[in-house]
This record gives sequence, C-alpha cells and structure tokens, in this order.
Amino acid sequence: MGSRETILATLRANRPDPAAHPLPPVAMLGDMDAGKARFEAALHLLGGQILLPDEEGTLASAIAKRFPDANVICSAVPDFEGTIRLEDVASPQQAAATDVLVVRSPFGIAEMGSIFLSEAQLNSLNSAAHLTQHIVVILSEQNLTANMHTAYAERPEFHTAHYGVLMSGPSATADIQGVLIRGAQGVRSLSVWWE
Amino acid sequence: MKVKPVNHAKAAEKFLEDAPHLKFHDERLWDMRQKRDQQMHLLPEWQDLRTRASEIKEHTLANLPEYLEQFEANAKKNGIHVHWAADAAEHNRIVSEILEKHGAKSLIKSKSMVTEECDMRAYLEPRGVTVTETDLGERIQQLDDQLPSHIVVPAVHKLVPDVARIFAKNYNTDPNDDSPQSLAEAQRMAARPVILTADAGMTGGNFLVAETGTFVVCTNEGNADLSATVPGLHIATLGIERLVPRMADLGVFVRLLSRSALGSPITQYTTHFRGPQKGGEMHIVLVDNGRSARLGMEEFWTSLKCIRCGACMNTCPVYRRSGGLSYGAVYSGPIGAIIDPTFNERKYSTLPFASTMNGSCTNVCPVKINIHEQLYKWRRVLAEHHELPFVKREIMHMAGKLMGQPTLYRTAINGTEVALSTLPRFILYNWLNPWGKHRELPQPVKQTFHSWYKKNRLKDGKASKEGEA
Repeated sequence: MGSRETILATLRANRPDPAAHPLPPVAMLGDMDAGKARFEAALHLLGGQILLPDEEGTLASAIAKRFPDANVICSAVPDFEGTIRLEDVASPQQAAATDVLVVRSPFGIAEMGSIFLSEAQLNSLNSAAHLTQHIVVILSEQNLTANMHTAYAERPEFHTAHYGVLMSGPSATADIQGVLIRGAQGVRSLSVWWE
Repeated sequence: MKVKPVNHAKAAEKFLEDAPHLKFHDERLWDMRQKRDQQMHLLPEWQDLRTRASEIKEHTLANLPEYLEQFEANAKKNGIHVHWAADAAEHNRIVSEILEKHGAKSLIKSKSMVTEECDMRAYLEPRGVTVTETDLGERIQQLDDQLPSHIVVPAVHKLVPDVARIFAKNYNTDPNDDSPQSLAEAQRMAARPVILTADAGMTGGNFLVAETGTFVVCTNEGNADLSATVPGLHIATLGIERLVPRMADLGVFVRLLSRSALGSPITQYTTHFRGPQKGGEMHIVLVDNGRSARLGMEEFWTSLKCIRCGACMNTCPVYRRSGGLSYGAVYSGPIGAIIDPTFNERKYSTLPFASTMNGSCTNVCPVKINIHEQLYKWRRVLAEHHELPFVKREIMHMAGKLMGQPTLYRTAINGTEVALSTLPRFILYNWLNPWGKHRELPQPVKQTFHSWYKKNRLKDGKASKEGEA
C-alpha cells in the first residue's frame, strides 16, 4: 500500500464522527461598505498610496512626477505607453530591471485595501509584479467589493486564475527588532490610480 | 538509547539572564498581542468568525479523507503534480527526487514550518542542493544555524546587533550597522541575484481548498511570490490538515489570520496558486508526519485546527519570558507544547508544564482550540505514562497525599508559616523548589483562613468534625 492509501486509511479509521460536525453555511459577515473611502483608509494602513493626478491630469505625468528617477517604466495596459511593454519583456531576469510597472487590476477589496492580479493582467509573467521596484495599479471604483467574504463569493477570478495574488500595500517586514520596514523583498511601493 | 527530555526550565533560565534580550522579546510579543486586540475590537463579528472558523475546521477534519481526494482530483485537473508523504523522510525524498529530475542544484524557499518539521535542509544539502531561505527572519536563523524561535517572526529573540554580526559575517556588511532599514536592504540585495538564478522555488502554504485544488500562501515580504514565480519549478509543501472545503471559506480564515498574528488586517500578499504558470511545473507534497495518528487522539485532535498564527505564543507569559528556542522543538509556545508530544512523547514531556494555566492562549486562538485544557490533559497523560521528571513526580506524590488528608494538610500549612518565617534561605530556595529560582516565596500569613474561621465562626464545637470534611 502506498503512502496515499495508508494516510487515507488511517484518517478514515481515526476521524471523529462526521455527523457530529456539519459544515456551516458560507459566512457573510461584517461591514458591507464597498466604498472608495473605506478602500483608501485600508490601503494607507497597509502602506499603500493613492497616486493623485497633477495639473496635467494624466497618468503619464503623475508617474513622471512621482518617479522622476525611473529609467524603465513597463506597461501592462494598452492605454499607457511607458518605456517598454510587458509583452516585450521575455524573462524574469529582464523584468528585474523594471523601475515602475503599470498594471490594471480587475477588482479591489474595500476592507483590506487589497488589489488582485493574475496571469491575465501580467501577460503570464507573474514575477514581473514582484521584481519591479514600484508598482502602479489602475483600479476602478466600480470594481470594489466590500470584504473578504464578498470577494471570494463573487469574484470568478478565484476559480479561473492559475496565479492570483491579493496585494495589500507594498512588501514589508518587521523581522529585525520589530521595526516595520516598507519595501522588503518585493515592491518598494504600491500606488493606486483611480480611473 | 533513551531520548532525553528537553530541559525547558534550564534553557529558559539562560534566556532570563540576558536582560536586554528578555525585555525586548517580552515587550515585542506583548505589543503584537495588543495590536491583535485592537483589530479584534474593530470587528463586532469577531467571535462569530472564530466560531465559524472552528466549525469549518472541525467539519473538514471529520471529513478529511474525502476532502483530500477532492483536492487532489481538482489540483491534478489543473496540472499540478500531487505527492503524498507519510513522514519527514518520505517528504525529503520526494523533494530531492523532483529536484534531481530537473538537475536543480539551487533552491530558494520561503518560510515553511513543515520543511522545518522535516529538517529538509539537512537532507538536501549533503546531496548537493544549496537551499537559501528568502524570508528575512528565516534567513537570519539559517545563517545562525538555529531553528525559528517563533512560527511567524522566526528571529524575534534577536536584537539589531545580533543581525548586524550575522550579516557582517555572511554578507560583508558593517558589523556595527545599527539600522534595521539598511540591514533589511542588505538582505534584499543579497537575495535578489540568488532568486534570479535559482533552479527551483519552494513555498509552504496556509490553506488548501478542496473545491478548486488551490493552495494559498499568506506572507508579507514578497519573497514567497518571488520564490514561486521566478524559477520555472515550484514545489509547495503543506500539512494535510490545511484544508478548507470551499473557496468562500477562505474569507473567514484570511480575516482572522493576520489580525491574530500581527494585528494587521491582512498579510501584504495573499496568493492563490491553482495551477502551474505558463511553461512552468508545479508540485504539491501533502505531508502527514503524525497528523493522521493525532486525528485519532480523542482529547488532542482539535489541535489540528491550528492555522499557525502564533497568537497563543504572543500572549503566553511563559513563552514571552523563555523564548522559542528554550522549547527545543520546531513548534514552541502553547501550541508547540500540545503538539510536540505527539511527535515524541518522552523528548517533549516537559513542555506541557511550561504554562501557568492562565488560559490566555485559548482566549486568543482564532480557531478556538482549548489549548490550556489540552496542556492539562497532556500533564495527566504524561504522568500516566511515567514521563514526569523525578522531582516533579515526587513532589506531586507528596502533595497528593497531603491534600487528600485535611488534617495532615492543615498541620503542614501551619508548619509552613513557621517554616517560611524561620527557616534559612538555603533550605527554602534549593533544587527541590524550582519555583523559587526567580521568585520570592510569599510572606507567611499570621493566621490561615481555616484557623480564623475556627476561632470566629465555629464556636459551637463543630470544628471537631474537621477531619471528616
């Protein structure tokens, strides 16, 4: 008997009575506010930022102002140019040279200030979202869902994507004497641009 | 040869001698506990979430074989290779074979308690595989050749100068660097080239979803996502108890996990892996290593509900003042003390005694494991199995006799007052009284409650019946 069969057989012999432990209905609890203000407050708490339009009002000018030293600005969206398109980035090694990656997220979660990305938004180069120094995420207010319960219940991406990440602010660590550092090993900053 | 029990008390004593480390450790963990409380108070539904989480986990454990089969079928359908490991040795063999097949010599990994449980690095390295931990805290521990001292913050027992010393030795940084920011940056700069050239990546995982064949990894540093997505080969190791039935059940657990662990609403990254990336290969190793046996332990099976948040450790006064390493086990703190004896009853026989039984661990547990009750039950089991140390056993034996007989007890108590006020210190504070090592014994009272009651309330002679009480 292989390990699979041994493990399953032991579990069958040892488990508590299934009838005594029914599955509760799917939880739908807590604040159901899916508003922009709630999202922004949560995003700030987790170290993320809102990229505001400058006097020119375009995403390009806001990025140029916010990241004046950026050499490689990589775009994963059709409506923004950048210096290189993600489709033209062939490998993680090449993606590692990116200063700013611009992507569009299909939805955000108001409770957590989280944005979702999958291979569909990253042209299947998933590592690009983590190798870039900074990430700018285009998000629409209409695509906010209230909390984790509504997100998992409503969003089809969780059932279709092979790789689906909820990013909540930039990478962070507090592993050295409890000091919180934003910008650990993944992105140093995460900014949301409302469209 | 008989295994020696871990001498937790002695290791804790050493930890207590180092005042700066002790003070930071105690305060840092208590701060995490307070941040957890703040988050809890923001959610009126907190107790409902805990109840729901507990119910989902108990249901899943009672139906684990069916859910594992469902998970396996869905994961395979999505193109994931699923492996089953009965124990640590089999787990390490499976991982080694996958790496060998790909000619992989360098493995980058994120933190995984299961790989610690299996002591995987020690198995792979002599076989020519360089394993690099990419989580900052875990990397510090790897470079210092220590186990993680906490399941969420592995190097929480270290101060900035400790990290500076370790990094200076390994990364050629300034040994006097006193900035956590620049030390963290040194880790980023050292890890990046290793990540970009690695042959394979490995992660642990927090949840398995039966309905979709997904596994979920909750982290903060971004290193897990880098380890999983940069190399073409991703191996994930998870315990078989990590399952939840439905995708929608994750809502309950994700809302509880990081709030309980660090007091942040969610981890910076919550990543759902449902299949290999384009051109890549993905493997999952489902690890038993004693879990299926634990499911059959009537008083202890609910410890399998644990989602490894570490809240019980942060709140535990013994853990905070003894440090994770003093437990001498992969899992430390209250949760460690109730699961470690299932791995080796003799070796970890001392751990269930590392508790004041205050019940705080149970109160903060997001999946409602009755941790302090299980600590008590383990003490009973260990006593029955004769795994108590000599002094503890003899003292308990004497105490049992004493407390079983009221007359003897009262005589002894009256005697204690005389003893405490008159006996020299070397008789009161010696090896038979470990309690007195770092504490002062209480001031003796002038009169016990019983003698006061006898004098003031029982004037009609009923006191003569005391021996029958």
